[in-house]
Amino acid sequence: MTTTLRPPSDATPNPNPASDPAVDIAPAKHRGNTVGVGSSRTSTIIVTGILVVVAIYFLVPIYYVVIAATKTTEDLFATNGFLLAPTFNLWENLRLVFTYDGGIFVRWFMNSVLYAGVGALLATYFAAAGGYALAKYEFRGKNIVYGTVLGGVLVPGTATALPLFLLFSQMGISNTYWSVLIPSLVSPFGLFLCRIYAQASVDNSVIESGRIDGAGELRIFHTLGLRAMTPALVTVFLFQLVGIWNNFFLPLIMLADSKLYPITLGLNNWRSQVDRLPEFYQLTTGGVLVSIIPLIVAMIVLQRYWRGGLTDGAVKG
Amino acid sequence: MEPIRQRSLSRRQLFGLGAGAAATAALSSCATPGAVSVNSLDVIPAIAEGETVTLTYWSWLKDLQNVADVWNAQNPRIQVEAVWIQGGNSGGYQKMYSALAAGGGPDIGQVELRQVPEFLLQNGLVDLSRYGAEEYADRYDAGLWSQVQFNDGVFGIPQDSGPMAFYYQTEPLEQIGATPPATWDEWAALSAEVRTLGPDTYLDTFPVADASVFTAYATQAGAVWFDTEGDEWIIDMTDDATVMVAEFFDRAIDEDIVNTSFGAYSPPWYAAASDGKILAVTSASWGDALVQSVSGGEGKWRVAPMQTWGDTGFGSTYLGGSTAAVLANSPHPKEALDFIVWMTTSPEGIDAMIANSGIGWSPATDYIGELRQQPSEFFSGQNYNEEVFVPMAQQQNLDWVWSPLTQYTLNALGDGFRKKLTSGQTLVDTLSIVQRDVAAAFRNKGLTVRVAGQ
Amino acid sequence: MQRAPWILLAPFLALFILTFILPILSAVATSFTSVQRQGLFGEDGITNSFAGFDNYAQALSDSSFTASIGRVLLFGIVQVPVMIVLCTVLALLLESASARWPQFFRAAYFMPYGVPGVIATILWGFLYIPGLSPVLDIAGAMGLDIDFLGPDTVLWSIANIVTWTYTGYNMLIIIAQLKSIPGEIYEAARVDGAGSWKIAWSIQLPLIRPALILATVFSIIGTLQLFSEPLVLQTSSPAIDSQYTPNLSAYTNAFAFNNYGIASAQAVIIALAAFVLSFAFLAIVNRTSRADKEGA
Repeated sequence: MTTTLRPPSDATPNPNPASDPAVDIAPAKHRGNTVGVGSSRTSTIIVTGILVVVAIYFLVPIYYVVIAATKTTEDLFATNGFLLAPTFNLWENLRLVFTYDGGIFVRWFMNSVLYAGVGALLATYFAAAGGYALAKYEFRGKNIVYGTVLGGVLVPGTATALPLFLLFSQMGISNTYWSVLIPSLVSPFGLFLCRIYAQASVDNSVIESGRIDGAGELRIFHTLGLRAMTPALVTVFLFQLVGIWNNFFLPLIMLADSKLYPITLGLNNWRSQVDRLPEFYQLTTGGVLVSIIPLIVAMIVLQRYWRGGLTDGAVKG
Repeated sequence: MEPIRQRSLSRRQLFGLGAGAAATAALSSCATPGAVSVNSLDVIPAIAEGETVTLTYWSWLKDLQNVADVWNAQNPRIQVEAVWIQGGNSGGYQKMYSALAAGGGPDIGQVELRQVPEFLLQNGLVDLSRYGAEEYADRYDAGLWSQVQFNDGVFGIPQDSGPMAFYYQTEPLEQIGATPPATWDEWAALSAEVRTLGPDTYLDTFPVADASVFTAYATQAGAVWFDTEGDEWIIDMTDDATVMVAEFFDRAIDEDIVNTSFGAYSPPWYAAASDGKILAVTSASWGDALVQSVSGGEGKWRVAPMQTWGDTGFGSTYLGGSTAAVLANSPHPKEALDFIVWMTTSPEGIDAMIANSGIGWSPATDYIGELRQQPSEFFSGQNYNEEVFVPMAQQQNLDWVWSPLTQYTLNALGDGFRKKLTSGQTLVDTLSIVQRDVAAAFRNKGLTVRVAGQ
Repeated sequence: MQRAPWILLAPFLALFILTFILPILSAVATSFTSVQRQGLFGEDGITNSFAGFDNYAQALSDSSFTASIGRVLLFGIVQVPVMIVLCTVLALLLESASARWPQFFRAAYFMPYGVPGVIATILWGFLYIPGLSPVLDIAGAMGLDIDFLGPDTVLWSIANIVTWTYTGYNMLIIIAQLKSIPGEIYEAARVDGAGSWKIAWSIQLPLIRPALILATVFSIIGTLQLFSEPLVLQTSSPAIDSQYTPNLSAYTNAFAFNNYGIASAQAVIIALAAFVLSFAFLAIVNRTSRADKEGA
């Protein structure tokens, strides 16, 4: 069910397997320490050696862009890509990135923050409400709703993006913030995960005692329900956040006005100018560097939530 | 294992949903964007005294705002805002089409000459003859003007064009005692000789992916792929001239005398050109600014007239060339036209376009631009514009007509030409395949079409 | 009492109908229509009519489109196993006692997941382009003539970008699964005299096997959606045509050719292909987990 860890309209494959609760067999119990019988010095050297080689593979493109961002366009072609050029042009490149076209880069970045932040927050809230409703109430049509939403999980986002554009065009909201934000608010996978989590972790007796205290159904959800579902909400939020941030196809189709671009579309816009205007290499390399720094920091910091949230949510299902 | 059960349940429901969707689909109808022509509506009057407007112009020209600012300073009531978009095929047109479909878009769009008919198919352009464009006709090159006229209307104003010539590095050619080729046969002989200089050294490139270059060469040889008869389109992509050009480049690629792994002005091209591994480029007048980006090329390049197909065809051909067109949803076509005419025919407009945006060849009959009347240091002190491009611009195939399926045709040719490298399908074979596909594409668009001689 | 669940569901359902159900219905509807034009450009009138399965027949008889489906399937069949093996090996190595600084490595491997596909492609593009790429310079100095963007290689250059982006992510998921294996199982195995290899092979792998199957099938479905990588590399590689992947083909038909009928038919075909593969996967998972249960 995990193809929809990303929002409906993303285009790159997302091969996430294991968050599916159905396949999680083992109960949640940390071993605490690692395996290893007779881990000798030799095997440590071999294993660490392999890990270093693989790390080089993962880090080389990042290292390259750090170096490239310090160079002038001329040096980019004239000097070795892995070594610094005699002219250290990083500050000038960064100045260009932040000032070009009235600081459009900053605007793109803020747009991405807006799309991803607001989109993920609301999507999580809506998915939580829906998932909670499906888990904790018996009502007519429940299975049809759940089945249809699960079907939505299987539909590739790119298949809906084209007709969605035509639909939004007729409604007059294509090429607006809404055209990217609205589709980002729906996470069928989020609803799926929330339902399973709510089923396992929101105690019926707690709900009952809330009712006895005279609390309304919505109030019970907002106080007791949401609190009990917090770990699942973190997971859904993070997936939706990364999914929207990385999205390219949807904004590409929806947005004509570059002031509304998210950072992905904006940087591609700069890159596509290099053939005619080679000076855009400096903007592109500098812009790529600036844009990935917060992402890398975020990934390193959030790593732990990925692990925690997913297994918790999965296992308890 | 409860989720598994849930999922099996959902599978049944999904099938149910699919059946429901199919049934609904049969009932629902939908509108094709651009189904109503703006040119059948009333003419929009000019703005009243005292009103001001801001026009937007979507274009991929560099620093176009500087040009607009010259105008803006003199015309406080009609302000022009330039917005950069990606070059036509690489995203600009997609953006304009989708904006048009959404009922919006800029007042003015940069639309290549070859793309004008395609925009007509979407009802995307304002017929400027309804706003008095014809009174300016005599200010423009007649060949270019004829390419914006369809069905007695004027659907764009020529903004620049691209007569082709032969750019070359003087030193390496002198070393092997060669002069610029006068004919394509000489070009082939010279290319073969250059191959002996080094394993990666070529005279020129042939871009399989970008069929516009091949199309320009075929046009030079005298081909006319599209024609109309009443309401019917006639396609002829396998005439003698086109087949001759295709055979020529089939041979050139087979003999490995032309570089096919990258196109002109791509990053590897720049690297190869500055490294002495690409010695020349057959390109349009607007290529001068790009050739000048070859690092260390100062004073080492010259320009010669384009090589010809011997006894047949024309002295040169156009590669590229744009119009400034007024898009269908513009609320101010008259004001847009005034700006465009100023930009493309007034000396200060032309000079600003050359200085800021490095446009192609000026479409005005009487002014090529002040900067272009002077010798160039980069091009070895040669006054190449007056010397080479002025005559090149006058030796054109004026019968050439673009069709409403230009984009499809060029894509199909490019996709077919790529197979020369992957599966060995010849360029000649690609022609007839593409001709058949293009005819089918015309029919898909609901147009009437036939293949010449069939 | 019965109003509450619908109120809770309402925002989600409204958006779901707007962004999933309606577009799907309208895509299906559009895929059955064709357009007729009177005059050279349709200036004398444009009408839409029901076209039956014409658009589907055309999409499926277009050799470039069918080739693009074949291409992404080939891509999936090769890239996915490579990535799955890689992320499994990395997860097992990082979880073995022999690994030094596991936290550093885990972070380094996971990091690319935060780099959007477009930006990852721009990054790798620099390393692929002759004249810019130091990798090619080094290979050239060693006498190797590599072309990352040639007709036979560019698909695998794209595969490399996808692998680079998602391996660390999948690895993290597998590590999470490994950590959920109870310590008693390992102790029991050690008491029985099992070594690291034996433990990996007969305890760890079987327990993460269902996850690996899912990852495989999902990646193949995800591969059907490849878009931004070929789009970005298109300008540097003559081998990538305008219909290189099914999605690129639908995009080109819709926005470059304005052929919404064919584009919609292609979108529906892509969705159906994803459905077929998904149901195949559901069947596999049902069978394997049942078999697991019975086996255990």
